[in-house]
Amino acid sequence: MSPKAGIRRAAGSFVAPGTLVALVAVIVILLAAAGAPILSDQSPLDQDLTAMNGGPTAEHLLGTDNLGRDVLVRLLWGARTTLVVGALGTALAFALGAGVGLMAIVAGRLTEMLWFAVIDLIRALPATLLGVLLIVALGSGTVPVIIALGLSFSPLVALVVRTAHAREVARDYVAAAASFGGGRLHVLVHHILPNLIGTLVTQGAIVLPRCIVTESVLSFLGLGSSPDEPTWGRMIADASRFIEQAPHAILAPVIALIVLTTALSVLGDQLRRRLDPTRAAAMPADLAEASPIATAWTAEGAES
Amino acid sequence: MSRWLPVLFALLAGLARAVGIVVVTWFLCRVMPGDVVDVLGLEGGLSEAQQADLRVSLGYDRPIVVQFFDWAQHALAGDFGRSVRFDRPVADMLASAAPVTIELALGSFVVGVALALGLAIAATSMKSRLLEAAVDGLNIWSIAVPTFCAGVLGIIVFSLWLGWLPVIGSLILPIIIIGLDNAGQIVKLVREDLAEAVMLPHVRTARAKGLSPWRIAVVHVLPVAAPIVLVLSGLVLSGLVAGTLTMEILFGLPGIGSLMLNAVHGRDLPVVLAAVTVVAVALVAINTLVDALHRLIDPRVNR
Repeated sequence: MSPKAGIRRAAGSFVAPGTLVALVAVIVILLAAAGAPILSDQSPLDQDLTAMNGGPTAEHLLGTDNLGRDVLVRLLWGARTTLVVGALGTALAFALGAGVGLMAIVAGRLTEMLWFAVIDLIRALPATLLGVLLIVALGSGTVPVIIALGLSFSPLVALVVRTAHAREVARDYVAAAASFGGGRLHVLVHHILPNLIGTLVTQGAIVLPRCIVTESVLSFLGLGSSPDEPTWGRMIADASRFIEQAPHAILAPVIALIVLTTALSVLGDQLRRRLDPTRAAAMPADLAEASPIATAWTAEGAES
Repeated sequence: MSRWLPVLFALLAGLARAVGIVVVTWFLCRVMPGDVVDVLGLEGGLSEAQQADLRVSLGYDRPIVVQFFDWAQHALAGDFGRSVRFDRPVADMLASAAPVTIELALGSFVVGVALALGLAIAATSMKSRLLEAAVDGLNIWSIAVPTFCAGVLGIIVFSLWLGWLPVIGSLILPIIIIGLDNAGQIVKLVREDLAEAVMLPHVRTARAKGLSPWRIAVVHVLPVAAPIVLVLSGLVLSGLVAGTLTMEILFGLPGIGSLMLNAVHGRDLPVVLAAVTVVAVALVAINTLVDALHRLIDPRVNR
């Protein structure tokens, strides 16, 4: 199945109400993040000392935190950091996992072995622990967090890409392209890569919400970006000390984060069902039944 | 012998991984900008000469490779040096923090696996819509709700609204929250594996004999699914680390996570090194054992 056909089918078929709600939620959060400077009438650092830990009022729609900062304004600005850092972390994970991974595979057995030994080592550490370690090494800040996210999630991408690549290499069109004199890099870029797009998109949809959650965990632990830069994780950490006086200040970012991760997961799940050829569900039932070979490699792909 | 060879290889690979991680951890920690001497210098107003003396007494002036082997030698004997901040042996600090973390991790692991297994077995043998929905719900919960958000919600609901538990220092709530997360991560996969195992011929025979669904599930289906359950138990470890770390902070529990973070903020290098190393090596060890055990009970993976 070509990725184009997959996208056509994704667009053409019935959209479940849950997916629609998730899509709307993500779009609203994206717009809120993009429009933060226009939407907010004050800076996320402005302190209203007459209204510390205040509940929702006409002036502060979601109330204020322990320093009298407007929760809604901080939520809007925090969405920017959370989304940008999450997206850049995902991009780096792909550059390392898919980019470097595929180059290492194409370059030869030795480079493949070496790079995947590194990947294996990274994989042995959970994302949070690797994050703590890298932030210790590089100092806290936005860039170390992005590096930590990219490194932590690169194995997830690399291993899936390696499996998918091995699956494609064994197929006839690759042998055909090679027999026409196509070099390994040429075959990779022009023949194999287009067939990996479905897998890559699917994997991106899995990695992005995880990056966002891990970024929030790191900010929550005080290891993320500087205190001046509002992030949802840091808002939760700050407000957790005043949970009794001002539950609204902590509920707002918690709910925002849950809505974002839920919506992204729902969308990612839909994408996977429609785009990933390694999933039996993505293949038209008639094709799977008609071809025993197709069924065999589908089962094999799903297993790994 | 051929049965044990893959197990031996798995153990050796685990050892290599552990050594690799320790080396990487150590050198990463050593490049951190601003060591503890800088921090103490700022706080206590140490002069340049005093700072230099302190560095010499800490051994920071020696070649870095020498420092590593010195550290590794002592660490192998259980001596992680002294905390620069608290002037206590790091090993003692770890020992007093470990029980909290172990209780938290072990408790939530047991809760998680028991819940996932129980729910998956029930859903497989009873064919109930409600149970299927519970499986899906638990799975979505673990994907969508980060543990520290669940912790915040738990505190608000149970402590503030219902007034059941004290917020700080409670272990029950964090164990349940991490346990739910663990269960959600594996329940769907266990359920899928059980659904496949149910289709096997010997299970059909058992059903034809008229055995009760529960007996079939426990005696005939579960042993087939044991390997996957084992592998999945290894999978929850990563979530367990994030979970215990954030829960310790949120609930003010004095475990290894709290120790590590305080040390990171205070640039207390020996403590950071020891805490990260101990946790990382423990994880590699558990994963290696799971892998070895898996190869032992399910020779199919050795191919």
